[in-house]
Amino acid sequence: MTSKKVTVTNPEGLHMRPAGVFTKAMSAFESSINIKFNGQNYNGKSIMNVLAAGIKCGSEIEIECDGSDEQAALDKAVEIVQTAE
Amino acid sequence: MKVIDLLKESAITLNMAPSSKEELYDKLIDMHCGAGNVSDKEAFKKDIAKREEEGPTAIGDGVAIPHAKSEAVAKPGLSAATVPAGIDLDAMDGAPSNLVFMIAAPKQGGDMHLEVLSRLTVMLMDESFRKKLLDSKTPKEFLKHIDEKEIEKYGAEDAAAAQKPEPAAQPQEAQPKKKVKIVAVTACPTGIAHTFMAAEALEQKAAELGYEIKVETNGSGGAKNVLTARDIAEADGVIIAADKNVEMARFDGKKMVQSKVSDGIHKPGELIEKIASGSAGVYSHKGGSASESTEEGGDGIGHSIYKHLMNGVSHMLPFVVGGGILIALAFLFDNYEIDPSNFGMNTPLAAFFKTIGDTAFGFMLPILAGFIAMSIADRPGLAVGFVGGALAVAGTTFASLVNPEANVVSAGFLGALFAGFVGGYITLGLEKICEKLPEALEGIKPVLIYPLIGILLMGVVMFLFNPIIGALNTALNNGLNAMNGASKIVLGIVLGGMMSIDMGGPFNKAAYVFGTAAIAEGNYDIMAAVMVGGMVPPLAIALCTTFFKNRFTPSERKSGVVNYIMGLCFISEGAIPYAASDPLRVIPSCIVGSAVSGALSMAFGCTLMAPHGGIFVFPVVGNVLGYLIALVVGSVVGALMLALLKKPLGEKAGLKK
Repeated sequence: MTSKKVTVTNPEGLHMRPAGVFTKAMSAFESSINIKFNGQNYNGKSIMNVLAAGIKCGSEIEIECDGSDEQAALDKAVEIVQTAE
Repeated sequence: MKVIDLLKESAITLNMAPSSKEELYDKLIDMHCGAGNVSDKEAFKKDIAKREEEGPTAIGDGVAIPHAKSEAVAKPGLSAATVPAGIDLDAMDGAPSNLVFMIAAPKQGGDMHLEVLSRLTVMLMDESFRKKLLDSKTPKEFLKHIDEKEIEKYGAEDAAAAQKPEPAAQPQEAQPKKKVKIVAVTACPTGIAHTFMAAEALEQKAAELGYEIKVETNGSGGAKNVLTARDIAEADGVIIAADKNVEMARFDGKKMVQSKVSDGIHKPGELIEKIASGSAGVYSHKGGSASESTEEGGDGIGHSIYKHLMNGVSHMLPFVVGGGILIALAFLFDNYEIDPSNFGMNTPLAAFFKTIGDTAFGFMLPILAGFIAMSIADRPGLAVGFVGGALAVAGTTFASLVNPEANVVSAGFLGALFAGFVGGYITLGLEKICEKLPEALEGIKPVLIYPLIGILLMGVVMFLFNPIIGALNTALNNGLNAMNGASKIVLGIVLGGMMSIDMGGPFNKAAYVFGTAAIAEGNYDIMAAVMVGGMVPPLAIALCTTFFKNRFTPSERKSGVVNYIMGLCFISEGAIPYAASDPLRVIPSCIVGSAVSGALSMAFGCTLMAPHGGIFVFPVVGNVLGYLIALVVGSVVGALMLALLKKPLGEKAGLKK
């Protein structure tokens, strides 16, 4: 398993559009994607889960990927969180 | 920001059948205008459309949440529609949408729309909740479901926010406030008062500190306000304030504080702070034995053994009380003179009560063993302990399988205690060994491996254990026969005492057999001593619960009354719950009381020609007055000794030495 902490910089937080982009991209990977936020775990492949987390701007989240393509998944996940608007 | 405050009854339309997405959205926007949320309809409509162009807002599972941050929004609000037939909104999972919520967020609304989105999705993730919304007949009903769900998920948080509106509003803008969420379980063996007092204390303290808490109460009426997997997943930590075992596997990997239920009542703040400050240890269920899990805040091994025992005893108690009273009724409705050796079954009515009562009694020891094992090893332990307890009662051995004539002696309640603990630890051991199995076998562990291997091992252990009981019984029989020449008083002491050692096990049986053999030889005084010894334990305990109330828990006190009846009817089993929960104090007291009665009965030259005890046989007792004195004195001695040994409960909790 590999993981990385990322700070959400999007002023609107991880709202529906970036959450949609994120979960759609993550679903393409075989690895399981887990978002740790506020001490809780959210499935990074489910938009309901990501929206339920209500991740605001400035929040630090930890993304954990576990599986055969975990590194690629993690890189992609971090990229989306840092760039998505 | 509560969903229920944002959604007005007038802004809900149920059972729509729109022909297009535009028609649906127009309706949702109209409802926003009607509710006064939107000041400029056309501008808002444009902003919604713009948002839709950027990507779909149908998030799957039939849910769509179109939304816009717009200058045209006068105040934040929601509108909602259900479309039973579904409508294609280009959902991320490709399925049609049937539940549509539209969020209108003011341009300068900060994170408001993200918060509403978060709350809505948390609630909508629950499929049964979605179904309730879809099935709603009226907007009122629709709102009612949302209100209930929101209270379930956010009730505590909202209550805390309502209590201090000012400080909550301020820092929220400055920095995202991290809300501490706690789940807790309270439980006590009685489950009448303490469970709920602890829950209330925790809830109040948490609200005071501004934390969110959900407390499951494992009271006598079963678990209430049960924690869902989601509650647990979301929680920062778990508080267990319990004097009996609660289901622990679900808390694997969570930060946990464990304590006695009394700490939940008296020190809720301390427990909560341990979680909030993050200083609590992480609970590991796999391979962690129950005694390990009580390390924190518990009383170590002693406390955990007490907890296992109490789990067994509290489940056994109803069987003892119900069965005992029914058997007493059987004796009452029977005529002793028809057939003394069949007393209790001679008339049809008596036989009816006796049969039911005996059936209840038959479950007593398996229940005791089963729930002790379950307390140790969680659910998988139950079956193993249950079977072990039943085998202890049956007394079956390898030898008795081959030779039906072999001496089969029930191991009694001490055997059931043994079976319960061994069964629990066998299961724990199995769980530990099975950790090494490949993950693919995970699913068959609880359905196949634990029950099959666990029960098999338990059976082997009991088949090896029971012969020891048989041998002990034989040795006792021989010992008693050798004592035949001893003084009658000594014999009375020994026989009376033996009746109380195990209340149905090898000692008890040896004394009884010796008594019946003596009757056959024409010595009626021995049976009198044996029977009076069997009546003392429940009576001694009953007296003690009446005159030394502070030594007992409320439920023990209440069932104490029943023990008067059971003692007078020669149902020694009434004492078992007390003996099982505190063997080292209760059994010696009963032994001494019974021994005194036995000796006095012999000294007064009492006789009894029937192989049965209880007040029903008093008409055939020789020297009834002496017999009564023996019974009363023995019971009083036993009760006083028990009061002396047992400390008042407050002290036992470790407050004073």
